[in-house]
Amino acid sequence: MTHLELVDTEPRDEEGPFSAATPLPHRLPPGRHGIPANLVVEHQRLRLIAAMGEALAEHGYAGVTTTHVSERARVSTSTFYKHFGNLWDCVLAAYVATADRLCERIEAACAAAEPPLYGLAVGIEAGLAFVAAEPAAAQLICAPAPLEAAAIAAARRLLIARLAGMLRRSRGGEVGEAPAGIDERLIDASLAFLCARIGAGEAERLAELGPELTALLDRPRRAAA
Amino acid sequence: MRPEACAAAGEALQVETRAPTPDATVREGEMEGALHVVGEVGYRAASVRAVLEYSGAHRKQFYEHFGSLEDCFGQAYEAWIERLGVSLLEAAVGAGSWRESVQASLVRLFEFVVERPTIARALFLEVQVAGGAALAKHEEATERLGAALDSVRTEIAPAEQPPESTAFFVVGGIEAAICDILAEGNPNRIWDALPELMHLTAGSYLGNEAAEEAFEGAKQLRERSAAEAQGR
Repeated sequence: MTHLELVDTEPRDEEGPFSAATPLPHRLPPGRHGIPANLVVEHQRLRLIAAMGEALAEHGYAGVTTTHVSERARVSTSTFYKHFGNLWDCVLAAYVATADRLCERIEAACAAAEPPLYGLAVGIEAGLAFVAAEPAAAQLICAPAPLEAAAIAAARRLLIARLAGMLRRSRGGEVGEAPAGIDERLIDASLAFLCARIGAGEAERLAELGPELTALLDRPRRAAA
Repeated sequence: MRPEACAAAGEALQVETRAPTPDATVREGEMEGALHVVGEVGYRAASVRAVLEYSGAHRKQFYEHFGSLEDCFGQAYEAWIERLGVSLLEAAVGAGSWRESVQASLVRLFEFVVERPTIARALFLEVQVAGGAALAKHEEATERLGAALDSVRTEIAPAEQPPESTAFFVVGGIEAAICDILAEGNPNRIWDALPELMHLTAGSYLGNEAAEEAFEGAKQLRERSAAEAQGR
């Protein structure tokens, strides 16, 4: 399976200070706080990554700047450049972090399902719940990457390959093997579908689209009655 | 796609038929320049200066025609996406069955992408960056093409109708494939996606059997075209 882990954005230790279960404060306490320097740096980086999606949602690719991201993360612009070479490096880190989180949610939901198969409906439900909860970050991974950001287009291809692998596993042996590239096209279409819905301000209603998206992904591989 | 559906969609588009005046020619050059520059360097880096360099127009003329670069891009986008839409629907009308007309439209679209990749990057990829009026026009064009695709529903039994958003899903998938290939920088590779996109389109409406037939048909067309190109 292709893993999309270009940047390790989150410590994997569930009990750690930056674990997924711990809400990220907007900034660390001012003055002497006794927090080790490496943790402060990591905290800044995670805040910048989180701020990237929000800044993009507000300003779009056309208007977003490093200043927008720094202000949202409550760090200086010079701190931004200590972590990332330019705006696109930060977008890429945010893209990879979000893509990893989406895949982890889907895989966890499928693993917890009874029987523990990669059920299509279970996976789609988990994916849509993620998108509904984090529409700004989800929009980042669903939208096509701009010309200036070739690395993001490459990261998008990796995400599509990973999700297409999940889609193939979800079918088990129920249907014959599709020609190469078909599942990737279905995932591509799904991301475009979600991108348009989020863009239309319908993120909160996405969970209702589970049965429809399941049918859209399933139909091309099913025989007509 | 049914001819009447394509014709109806085509009628919704207003196409300029009068002979262009010299001023209109300059304006047209500026609009093409805006799309070219955006497709070349990206929307964020595009400038009026680069548009003027491409088109040969003067700054004063540009601002007589357009309020800003954004305005120019929006108007250029509207004109070009409508022309492309008409061209795709014309290709569909000239074909036979729904499947053949879908394939004919895709072939016409891919020819455009290969012949004018820079303009295609502006129309499909950078419009997402630009947003605003251009993106609204993009959505209108998408809806028209989706309506033409949806014409096959009359051939599907009520109990077998595909989901309501099928056209939206399919058009989005086709466009995403184009964006991906344009981003890679080798537009000729778009032809490799023809069988997969025919599978996506036919399968989303008609199921697996139709998908496989469409895939094979497109694959054969692709192989014939490649053999002809080698023979030339």
